Amino acid sequence: MRLAEIERGDSLVHRLLIRMISRIAGYRLPDAARVAFYDRSFAGPALGRWTQKAMRGPSAWSVSERELMAAMVASWNTCPFCVGAHRAISVRGMDPAVVDAVLTDFRTAPIDERLRATLGFLETMTKDPDGLSASDARTALDAGVTVEDLEDAAAVAAVFAVITRNANALDFELPSAEEFDRAAVMLLRRGYS
Amino acid sequence: MGSDREHRVLAEDVRAAVSRGIDAHATTGAMRIGAGGEAPVAESYASLARTIGEASFRVTDEQVAAAHRQAGSERGAFEVVMAAGIGAALHRWDAAIRAIEEAADEAR
Repeated sequence: MRLAEIERGDSLVHRLLIRMISRIAGYRLPDAARVAFYDRSFAGPALGRWTQKAMRGPSAWSVSERELMAAMVASWNTCPFCVGAHRAISVRGMDPAVVDAVLTDFRTAPIDERLRATLGFLETMTKDPDGLSASDARTALDAGVTVEDLEDAAAVAAVFAVITRNANALDFELPSAEEFDRAAVMLLRRGYS
Repeated sequence: MGSDREHRVLAEDVRAAVSRGIDAHATTGAMRIGAGGEAPVAESYASLARTIGEASFRVTDEQVAAAHRQAGSERGAFEVVMAAGIGAALHRWDAAIRAIEEAADEAR
């Protein structure tokens, strides 16, 4: 973590909370959660509300599918922290072999065409937003994705465009695979806001 | 699932929150640069925001330290980081909504 105040907390309440959660959970509270506690008068709470809506709100996409989309955005943005964190949640509702096949190459992975076409849209949105066009959206709609489904998926990619950049720019400490698994349980139970 | 309008409201809440930084000139400028644009902010902020927008995995300790020195606080540096990421994200969100709406209009 490049900014020490985020790591330790910016108020007595947050410092105590970070210590208490780490003690109860039995592992170091991940840096993503420390950022969520920090500077609450700025944009974090608004981003948290949108993230909660995108990741846990009503949607035709399952929680695991949305977590997989988040992991893919992280992969495109070269963010190992977010790949690990969101792969660990995704595999709690999807076959780990399928999740890993998607992370390796979603074009050949054994997934339905709706998800494949949506990931194609999200890849262009993430890597080449100025090249994103109606034709990219049409490819997803032609695969059976509704306008609403596509917008739900775009919201996942948008919030993780911020979260992955925070993780990389602030140099989040990388938890172990076991810690990612334990944090996944907490994120499934408590959500993002 | 009745969620599309709500995403747009929540996206605008995030956009509006960037101007609540302790240095609103710096955060709104970092948001524009993170989105690929230009803004008249200190070079340490501009360099950091540009790297965050284009390839955040290339951000260095020195870039964050320079923004920290410029801001005079960790909170100020953090807000520049966050604002740049929000700029990059909302640039992508706006592009996605435009593409989806155009495709939906063509299908009608």
